[in-house]
Amino acid sequence: MAINLKTTHAETREQRLGTITHWEGSADQLARDSAFTHGCEKGCDNGGRRLCEQNTPFAQASMCAENIAVTNATIIQDSVVIQHSPIGCAVSQSFTCRYYRDLAARRGWELEDPQSMCTNLGEQDMVFGGGPKLEDAIREAWQRHHPRVIFVATSCATGIIGDDVDAAAARLEAEVGVPVVPLHCEGFKSKHWSSGWDVIEHGILRRLVGRDPGRKQEDLINVIHLGGSDVFTPLLGPLGLRANLVMGGNTLERLAEMSEASATVTMCFVLSYLATGLEQEYGVPEIKAPLPYGLGDTDSWLREIARVTRREDRVEALIASERARVEPELSRLRKALAGKKGFVAAGAAFAHGLLAVLRELGVQVDGAYSFHHDPSTDSGDPRQDTLSHLVETWGDIPNFTVSPDQHFQAHAALQRSRPDFVICRHSGSMAVLSARIGIPVLPIFYSNDGLGYEGLLTIGRAILRILPRARFCQDIAAHSNFPYQPWWLKQTDPFALVSDLD
Amino acid sequence: MATLENSAQFCSSNGPIEQVRYGCSLGALASVIAIPGAIPITHCGPGCATKQFHALSGLNAYQGGEFHVPSTNIGNREVIFGGADRLDELIGATLKVMQADLFVVQSGCIPGLVGDDVGSVVGKYRREGVPIVFAETSGYRGNNFTGHETIIRAIIDQFIGAYDGPREPGLAEWRAIPAAQFNLVLSPWLGVATAEHLQRTYGQPFLHVPAIPIGAKLTSAFLRQVAAFADLDTQRVEAFIAAEEKEYYLYLRDFTTFYAGCASQYQLPSHLVVVGESAYNLAVTKFMFDQLGLEPGCQVITENPPEAFREAINAEYRKLGGEVAFEVDGHLIHKAVRENDFAGWLPIVFGSTWEGEVARELRAPLVEIGYPCTDEVVLSRTYVGYRGALALIERTYTTVVRASTLA
Repeated sequence: MAINLKTTHAETREQRLGTITHWEGSADQLARDSAFTHGCEKGCDNGGRRLCEQNTPFAQASMCAENIAVTNATIIQDSVVIQHSPIGCAVSQSFTCRYYRDLAARRGWELEDPQSMCTNLGEQDMVFGGGPKLEDAIREAWQRHHPRVIFVATSCATGIIGDDVDAAAARLEAEVGVPVVPLHCEGFKSKHWSSGWDVIEHGILRRLVGRDPGRKQEDLINVIHLGGSDVFTPLLGPLGLRANLVMGGNTLERLAEMSEASATVTMCFVLSYLATGLEQEYGVPEIKAPLPYGLGDTDSWLREIARVTRREDRVEALIASERARVEPELSRLRKALAGKKGFVAAGAAFAHGLLAVLRELGVQVDGAYSFHHDPSTDSGDPRQDTLSHLVETWGDIPNFTVSPDQHFQAHAALQRSRPDFVICRHSGSMAVLSARIGIPVLPIFYSNDGLGYEGLLTIGRAILRILPRARFCQDIAAHSNFPYQPWWLKQTDPFALVSDLD
Repeated sequence: MATLENSAQFCSSNGPIEQVRYGCSLGALASVIAIPGAIPITHCGPGCATKQFHALSGLNAYQGGEFHVPSTNIGNREVIFGGADRLDELIGATLKVMQADLFVVQSGCIPGLVGDDVGSVVGKYRREGVPIVFAETSGYRGNNFTGHETIIRAIIDQFIGAYDGPREPGLAEWRAIPAAQFNLVLSPWLGVATAEHLQRTYGQPFLHVPAIPIGAKLTSAFLRQVAAFADLDTQRVEAFIAAEEKEYYLYLRDFTTFYAGCASQYQLPSHLVVVGESAYNLAVTKFMFDQLGLEPGCQVITENPPEAFREAINAEYRKLGGEVAFEVDGHLIHKAVRENDFAGWLPIVFGSTWEGEVARELRAPLVEIGYPCTDEVVLSRTYVGYRGALALIERTYTTVVRASTLA
């Protein structure tokens, strides 16, 4: 299904991809059931069954799409983001500022605070509408900062009262003379926060990509990543490619140039909306090879990039030299990690990638926890089915839980798995939960850490660094508890509550 | 005299806000989490509760704390058809899974806008003897300060007076409220509405002390004021004061070696820039003025206190020969700071992480005393009283020395 860039609204993941947020079973079963949902259109008989959301009557606070969309708009340089909302939505500014400054330090940008504003709506505005305050805020943003782009993010409140953000944005764009880009990201509209990636990528595709790429930059490759340091240049440079790092903080020039690139890679297919959109609108090919987690997949990822960008002559030498470079330390790490058991908690394709890394490092894994599951991707290309690929390459994960960062379910999953360590994305509930159960944890804040050949070393070293923290974790575990009922504290089935009430 | 009605009244300030310095009413879930044995149940959008907690607890000196708050995570269906049924289901499931002595149901923006009757859902459980209360904390109706008062009011009215179930320890202090002889409000305005309510409900008088005491002078005066109000044994109070002051002044005497002796070596600051919510703003300003001999420079109160209290708050600053401004927008706050002529005097900035940039411009050291606070890790530090003052002096002059030696 084509991405629809005619409207200012991005369709949610559940509409486009059939995304679910609650499921329990084996990775193998989930992969087959996903293929049933989306593969059956292709007429294949895969033996799976229709993928259903497993509902649970209990739920804990999660995250929203607005948070993702706003954070990733704010870290775009020379922008001002306006949160058209009551004050509470904008309390995340403090985090985003910290995040931006960390990114700036890692990427060598000027250390400064990013600009964001809140229209600060009150009860009167709920009754009479927040339009005038939004227009004032856009003018104020322009006068104060003279940004090169202004984003306007909606909120649950403004979605419900029905403020016409598109019309206000269009009026003010004519007045201030820079793009005013609406981000429709009401939290209630999607059951998963990752829809926020689609929202910001939709805005970028519609307004910030160079519309008329006069020239092609044959050596430029777009790298869509979640944020962090540049681990791509060392991998792609030897092929004669320049990495155009986008998302995770970047300049407007980088975004504009995307349409001139020779290809796009996405480091987590949860973010692949932008790559698929670039191929659809500008003919920039999207690399669909499985993600470069583990040696074999990194080899084939580089080969596919070389094929698409016509650099096959150089790629085998690069692969050989990189493999030789990492081999000695990799064997040392495998030896040090032998017999250890890990547990992965992260979002969809990223979780699949970390699982591959652990298996490549020789770590046992029998349990994983994915914050959501996308049965398909926007391209519809089966090569982007990272879960099936994981199971085919590395075997099944018997206990595979899909849950949107639900503390109570994570508790049960960890009781079942009892790993030596946890590796997780988002420092949200999982990191502290794991530590307080007595299990050392490696939270991956910058998600490029596990990529490519070097990623195996980075993750391996990091695991060895955190294992001794078991001393802290076990001490805390012995002296603290969780406010769950005794039957839940003993529970090892994250979805036990479904059957209990039904 | 300000009354409950106007102190509870919240007016979102006009104009956009940059560098947000408080959460919404729902953010008062941090107050609930701080009560041992209490759990909030939130009826709001999927990101609301996490966002408030992450900011007000995490981006606030990494205080952390438990976070596994039940939430309806409202979606399309509840927006269109109403979310009362889903809340009912969630409360039922929460009682099966979680263990608490008190549940505080907090509603966010969405139920307020779509008109869910949260009160009657919660009322059903209360009638069954469940220790549960309802606090309406729609984000557009207040900030986490006013939300705090909403929470407390809900617990007082719906739990302390009415609840007749088994009495577990943990909330014992809350249950003892009706037995109190009097109430003490230690803040320029927050808590006054609660004290007035308790006065009406239980006939309890209250003593309102606007400034949290920091340092011996203010703390001793405060203790004498409380003793006089409560008619306490003067000898006992004076004995306590004497013992604390003895220790305090021993340390302060030795601090003189640094404070008097190193004044030019380390460029000790002489003017105050204090940006923050009124309680700590006033407390720190008074202490630094009164006990360390600094001069008011620029004081900005940032939590949007009710209009009715502002004149009284400003009067406290005028006593120190200064003025205070009320402003919530970071851009305007920093404009006000920059407009000050410090006449060659080096200021010190007490504020939040948002003051980092302006402090650098002024080449002034920054001590973080409020949200957001990302350059401090705080476990149990306090700047209140005799010993708190010593901790504040340590923190302040460590920062000053480092600014001189590491710059």
